[in-house]
Amino acid sequence: MGFLTVLKKMRQKEKEMRILLLGLDNAGKTTILKRFNGEPIDTISPTLGFNIKSLEHNGYTLNMWDVGGQKSLRSYWRNYFECTDGLVWVVDSADRMRLESCRSELEVLLQEERLAGATLLVLCNKQDLPGALNSNEIKEILHLDDISTHHWLVAGVSAVTGEKLLSSMDWLIDDIAKRIFTLD
Amino acid sequence: MSVVGKQLNPVQNASSASNSSSNTANSANEANNSASSVAASAVGVGVGVGVGVGGNSATGLVGPGADCKRKPLEESNVSPEDVLHLTKITDDYLCSANANVFEIDFTRFKIRDLESGAVLFEIAKPPSEQFPDGLSVEDTMLAAAEELSLEDTADPNAGRYVRYQFTPAFLNLKTVGATVEFTVGSQPVNNFRMIERHFFRDRLLKTFDFEFGYCIPYSKNTCEHIYEFPNLPPDLVAEMISSPFETRSDSFYFVENRLVMHNKADYAYDGGIIV
Repeated sequence: MGFLTVLKKMRQKEKEMRILLLGLDNAGKTTILKRFNGEPIDTISPTLGFNIKSLEHNGYTLNMWDVGGQKSLRSYWRNYFECTDGLVWVVDSADRMRLESCRSELEVLLQEERLAGATLLVLCNKQDLPGALNSNEIKEILHLDDISTHHWLVAGVSAVTGEKLLSSMDWLIDDIAKRIFTLD
Repeated sequence: MSVVGKQLNPVQNASSASNSSSNTANSANEANNSASSVAASAVGVGVGVGVGVGGNSATGLVGPGADCKRKPLEESNVSPEDVLHLTKITDDYLCSANANVFEIDFTRFKIRDLESGAVLFEIAKPPSEQFPDGLSVEDTMLAAAEELSLEDTADPNAGRYVRYQFTPAFLNLKTVGATVEFTVGSQPVNNFRMIERHFFRDRLLKTFDFEFGYCIPYSKNTCEHIYEFPNLPPDLVAEMISSPFETRSDSFYFVENRLVMHNKADYAYDGGIIV
């Protein structure tokens, strides 16, 4: 139940946080979501809609939305942008053939006005696979250094082993919390 | 880690539960047996889907925030505010089964214990009954209902009501995850919102209020609420255990603030107790 440590950060911050997981199909968005929430990850089929996890803790709520990444579903992503505090862009680090389309889809998202205030976390998933590019290589291919409009972090993770998943999400929640609640 | 839930067809099961009241107890025992070798064995799970009461021609909202005049089911104008102010379980369904014009279909309910990872309850429609070709929701229900007796088919509310049977240990759980899975039809759904109210008698235990927002046409979606179990005083827990099915819930589903579905459930926590 690693998420509980993350949720503790939300105390004295805000009532609700909304995180959107996007990425190409087969990147591992649902697996990451399930892994993070302590669910078995052995039977995961393509998402033909959305998966939501709503974590409630001490009166605070963390809502995570995982929307299907198939090409036919990407035009619907826009319906889930509203009020997003954090965008998690999930990359299949072993799918070299599609990294260019991965780059261009992310580029489009970052121009989206309704995501302008969101923190960006790029998860280079499947680091456990032989042939996976590391997070530095993916940072280059996705031109992440050019991003000046969003707070961002790139991390190599594995949803299967759980490697670096928790610390990355921890950074995301922390960054959102710091950024939003300067009013109190 | 053990899965003690069962996969049952809720519609078919409605017949068996209504035919025999002892059915629920039997299935609870089966679940207990299957779980007896694991640490979570104290949390036995039974599955029974009964048939809702009433649900004929008219309905009325009871409670502050809503007047009590009776309205035809088809013209239900119950608002989210109305149901958020209810002080007890409704006597009747606040919309007709026909109000579900978006063909929203619940295909799975699941409850798990976050501490142990155990699935405590799971009920799912078999894949063959999801998205049946050329059949509306009503046709599907009708087809399933053909296996029931005449008396059962007369109830239009079969499938809107779920009965849960747990052991007392369920009330000691700390963190619980409740998942629903649903499909939507050919139309996009906007501002889909779920409000769920759990009561023991007239005491409010828990309210869920969740905005799904937009749903993609022909999509299959899941939502899991992970929450800490309300901290209930021991005397209340004891009362809940000794009063099976007096813990009840109403689930209201709104699309653009119009009530399109209303489901009911009741709960017992005395499973496995030998009298």
